[in-house]
Amino acid sequence: MRTLRQRLPEWLTPWALVAFLGGLGALYVAPLVLGTGAYLHNLMGLTFMFVAGALAWNWVGGYVGQISFGHAAMFGVGGFVSARILLATGMPFVVGWIVGGLVAGLFALLWGHPTLRLRGPYFAIATIGVGEATRLIMTYWEPFTGGASGVSLPIQGGVNKYSLYWYGLYFMAAAVAVSYYLRKSRIGLGLLAIKSDVEAAGDVGVSATYYQDLMLFLSGTFVGIAGAFYASYFSFIEPGDMFGFQRSISFVLMTVIGGIGTILGPALGAVIFVILQEFLIASYPELYLGMYGGLIILIILFEPLGLSGLLVRIARRAGYRPRGQVAGGGVGSAAAGGPAATSEAETTPHMVEEKT
Amino acid sequence: MDQFLSLVVSAVLLAGLYAAMAYGLGLIYGVLRIVNLAHGGVIMAGAYTTWVLFTRFGIDPYLAIPIVVPLAFLFGVALYKGLVRFLPRGAAGGVQSLLLLFGVWLVMQNVAYLLFSGNDQAIRTSYSTRGLSLLGVIIPLNRLVVFVIGLLTLAVLHVLLTRTYFGKAIRAVAQNPDSCTLVGIDVERIYTVTFALGTALAGLAGLLLSTLFAFNPSAGAVELLKSFVIVVLGGLGSVVGIALGALVLATVEVFSILVLPSFLTSAVGFVLLVLVLVFRPGGLFGQRVLS
Repeated sequence: MRTLRQRLPEWLTPWALVAFLGGLGALYVAPLVLGTGAYLHNLMGLTFMFVAGALAWNWVGGYVGQISFGHAAMFGVGGFVSARILLATGMPFVVGWIVGGLVAGLFALLWGHPTLRLRGPYFAIATIGVGEATRLIMTYWEPFTGGASGVSLPIQGGVNKYSLYWYGLYFMAAAVAVSYYLRKSRIGLGLLAIKSDVEAAGDVGVSATYYQDLMLFLSGTFVGIAGAFYASYFSFIEPGDMFGFQRSISFVLMTVIGGIGTILGPALGAVIFVILQEFLIASYPELYLGMYGGLIILIILFEPLGLSGLLVRIARRAGYRPRGQVAGGGVGSAAAGGPAATSEAETTPHMVEEKT
Repeated sequence: MDQFLSLVVSAVLLAGLYAAMAYGLGLIYGVLRIVNLAHGGVIMAGAYTTWVLFTRFGIDPYLAIPIVVPLAFLFGVALYKGLVRFLPRGAAGGVQSLLLLFGVWLVMQNVAYLLFSGNDQAIRTSYSTRGLSLLGVIIPLNRLVVFVIGLLTLAVLHVLLTRTYFGKAIRAVAQNPDSCTLVGIDVERIYTVTFALGTALAGLAGLLLSTLFAFNPSAGAVELLKSFVIVVLGGLGSVVGIALGALVLATVEVFSILVLPSFLTSAVGFVLLVLVLVFRPGGLFGQRVLS
């Protein structure tokens, strides 16, 4: 008789599967059992979306090592395409989300294929340009985006905020699963090779163009769906908010604060981001930029793997030694949300191991 | 025809400003292999410093150059000694220093919001609206002065980098820092001065911009992007490359007004960037910037 380990594909360990399903189940029933208030319930749904968005940004920013300051472009395209589909056809909103996501993914390919040949800082600045150009064009493309006055989504036929919690959960679960797959499978090895040395990767038959395009497409699609979710959540979107530079850098902030290149990190970062946004920024809006700027400076100087790196360090101090690939819940408790439980604390330090 | 001539003139005048603006970014990248994302922040800070000197102390913007430029230089020294020094350089450290300087930019923006609020500010001098008439084209005086200062700055830099011992040391470090240590060049000092020099140029660009355009704390992003476009277009090799890159960008921007609605002119630069990256990834004039 074959064990569970042998039945599963190579990239999936039984523990990861158990932790993933456990976390998913716990979050699925949490609102029904705990009776969370409407505010917290809705906020958690929104957090799931941000977790998925940060994870998707990380596929390009962390796994490939190409920092993008332009992901708002896909977030906005996903949001507006899905809003227009829902307004025009009245199809089920999930169809709108998926089409919006795919269009966003294709849009990412459109600008990404030529610009991804740039590496590192050059790609990063080119993405600022892409993001700003998209914002300008979209702001003035009134028939599509409604210009400065935005677009309101249909009330009827839409989805209510209460049930968005579970759709957010599914979406996040998909993002976590893809993150895990991309990290553990053959693709993950290819990405590591590209990140370490593009030319050497090419020599052993890893096509940087193919892998980078694929990652950007996936990332754009998921961020586009996140934008569509956001549109459904607020029932109103306007280009300045969807395409703004702030939107782009929010993905960077979440991932860098949590720990770039890891799975736990972006999830943790997104949770922290929402908490800061809701409680601290609401009281001190004038310190918004400075706080995030200061955090980034501290993290880059002292702990390039962000909060997840910090957690691993604390765990080590407490006598915990990660053995091989499985590293139980330990680091990711339920408090940090589902993905933390499934991420196996796999905080592989890709940021720091680069050659000087 | 008149319109054509005046567009040509304004493109050339704009190019002088753009070149001064881009050179700081190019210099720091060329020597330290770091993209200074705080470049836009320093431009913004330079504009505000000029504004404060003008409104509080009544110092003419152009006479404020000896104050603003050294201040920006000192800021650059502090930034390098305090933060940038600790990061690895080159392709590997690129992403880290990029994010770090991005954090610096955010903090600078925040400080500017706290000090000056988010309102647009502008500097209006008695000669702000003066113009000279030349060959039937009216040239705004301010733009002409900015152009001349931009050109002078480039000339001074060119002489500094090619004719002085110190400039040769900078170029040597850009080529091979390890060998420089062997022949007794203090590489760390060269890095400090180069970073500070690039920052000072950004401060000067901020001063020049403040005399022409309104600005607010979030200003600088567009300037950073344009600087980057120019560096990619013109290559890092020389002052001439930067000047040509600036001229190309300014010309394309100015003439796009003829065919495009005005709000899209700032998007033109980015489209140009992507086109160059696709068709001439080595830059317009052959020097490879991309690795």
